[in-house]
Amino acid sequence: MELLLSNLAHGFGVAMSFDNLLFALLGALIGTAIGVLPGIGPVATISLLLPITFGQPATTAIIMLAGIYYGAQYGGSTTAILLNLPGEVSSVVTTLEGYKMARNGRAGAALTIAAVGSFFAGSVATLLVAASGPLLTQVALSFGPADYFSLMLLGLIISAVLAQGSVVKSIAMVTLGVALGLVGTDVQTGQQRFTFGVPELSDGLNFAAMAMGVFGIAEIILNLEKPEVRSVLTAKVGSLMLTREEWKRATPSVLRGTIIGSALGILPGGGASLASFGSYMMERKMSKGRHEFGNGAIEGVAGPEAANNAAAQTSFIPLLTLGIPSNAVMALMVGALIIQGIQPGPRMVESQPDLFWGLICSMWIGNLMLLVINLPMIGMWVKLLQVPYKYMYPAILTFCAIGVYSINNNVFDVYSTVFFGILGYVFNKLKMEPAPLLVGFVLGPMMEEHLRRAMLLSRGDPYIFIDFANRPISATLLVICALTLGLMLSPALRKKKEAAMAE
Amino acid sequence: MKINAKDLASGIFLLVLAALGLWLNTDHTLGSARRMGPGYMPMLVFGLEFCFGLIVLGIAFFSGPDSLEKWTKLDFVTLAIAIAVTLVAYPLLAAVPGLESNWYALGISSTIGLFILAVSPGWRVLALVLAGMNIFGVLLDAGGLFLAIAAMVVVAAFADKDHRPLGVVGCVVFLIALCWWVFIYELDIRVNIWPTF
Repeated sequence: MELLLSNLAHGFGVAMSFDNLLFALLGALIGTAIGVLPGIGPVATISLLLPITFGQPATTAIIMLAGIYYGAQYGGSTTAILLNLPGEVSSVVTTLEGYKMARNGRAGAALTIAAVGSFFAGSVATLLVAASGPLLTQVALSFGPADYFSLMLLGLIISAVLAQGSVVKSIAMVTLGVALGLVGTDVQTGQQRFTFGVPELSDGLNFAAMAMGVFGIAEIILNLEKPEVRSVLTAKVGSLMLTREEWKRATPSVLRGTIIGSALGILPGGGASLASFGSYMMERKMSKGRHEFGNGAIEGVAGPEAANNAAAQTSFIPLLTLGIPSNAVMALMVGALIIQGIQPGPRMVESQPDLFWGLICSMWIGNLMLLVINLPMIGMWVKLLQVPYKYMYPAILTFCAIGVYSINNNVFDVYSTVFFGILGYVFNKLKMEPAPLLVGFVLGPMMEEHLRRAMLLSRGDPYIFIDFANRPISATLLVICALTLGLMLSPALRKKKEAAMAE
Repeated sequence: MKINAKDLASGIFLLVLAALGLWLNTDHTLGSARRMGPGYMPMLVFGLEFCFGLIVLGIAFFSGPDSLEKWTKLDFVTLAIAIAVTLVAYPLLAAVPGLESNWYALGISSTIGLFILAVSPGWRVLALVLAGMNIFGVLLDAGGLFLAIAAMVVVAAFADKDHRPLGVVGCVVFLIALCWWVFIYELDIRVNIWPTF
């Protein structure tokens, strides 16, 4: 406990430096902006800004990128409540009750509980990251190569199972991501693989170019193809204060949302959108106001909004303790760390205390900033919604182009982005979910490394992975993998998931 | 029959890619399970990919109907011509002195292909957005950052019917100013600003 406090004090010292405060604020502002704007999400934005972070120290860079992710959770609710449009995927369920509340003249109350609930959940989840980080790190240090391999496999499988759409296709996308990760120089023998003699490919496919193409560029094209639907703001924001009755109803929902969000955030493959959805389902079944669902129940805003922000914080736990990204945003964070020369993994808590504790403390500071950014300044964000998309997409395109060029000062990366833009467009048309691809791409090279090491240690005997007596961790993880896959194959559960996703 | 055309296409896509990967992988030594060579992991991964391709293909016959968007005759023709012209233009351009470096041949030939693609209304948005980005790549070194941004924004603006000339000019001026401030003044990236023909 004392150690935790002294570590947190150290973290606050790092987070309170002028630069780090400035970039946490910048991240929170950008995050809120893209959260408010439909059609551009945190994955595209973070990949867009990756190149810009190279010049900064690693801690500052990660603080800003993290701010974008959780900032987007705050901003997304504004659009959902006022316009009945999800600003982010994670606020889809907020539209259901939030917009109804706005039509009942309680938009201000909905916005307040969304922001306050998010702040509470964010604070609790941040503490959870701080407390569990060092503990989990201890466990992770006892992991051997076989355990790592199995853990990554589990992460890949769960991230595919929880993705939208067909499970088989998502697993195929993960495999495709791993396959794309093979391009480049083989680490152990130095042989070039799948480079076609192109020197630019010897370091592998450019991560930023891929993320920007598949998410940023493809999204622009898809947004332009469908006509812009932007309903005019009809509801007035009204008073931001909640009545005593509303507080009473919302408080248990926020608590439940925080718990379920924190739990789903840690899960590999989890993240903000899954959490808000899970919380909505729970509130509809459990809350006192469940009979009011569909007519603007405050529980339906408070729970999911708390949950998505809690999950946005706790999804950093697998990344910071094991070095394993649990979703596409975290995959981008790994990319940012590796480019900075930091190998994410269990040793990060010890070797990069500034980064670990600074990030945790800045998350709390960032949440505090977001409370201020969102509530009193709500009018400014509503104005932002009036900027038409036709003025936004040239800006996104320009930032993509310059950003990706500046990584290596090479136009080849610009053309790769174009190529991945086409690929992302095709994926969308074929209903192939691109997020698992990114996770596979990041984990692939690490998995190969650990597989080789494990097999070398076992003298080529694959039994090492399922040896319960000597390697219980790996065996247990593989059993969970098998169970997860088995569950998804059972028709009853699959139907349930389909029904859940359809709503 | 309730064929899911999207799954069918995905399955074929995966199979072709996996087969290509396995074929390219024949260049690499496999090694043994104990001492894996550079070809071992690709063999596993592409093998797995191939299996998934088959499964997706199989599922396609039961999970439908989910048809692909209708392609017009013009869509097919422009796509075929665009690919053909790009493939022909690339080696020709690569032989021109001065264009063999800096990926000029790749950028110019694919830009031509994309402009041909833009003839068909079905491809126009895709083609013009990507062509804009390609032109940025082609112009950046010799034309400088400002010219590259201007050309990219103008070309990409045609992708949206609602753009008016004055609005596009405003966009260009604003973005040039913003990029100068962010990338040149603040981040100081190494790039030509003005044309150096």
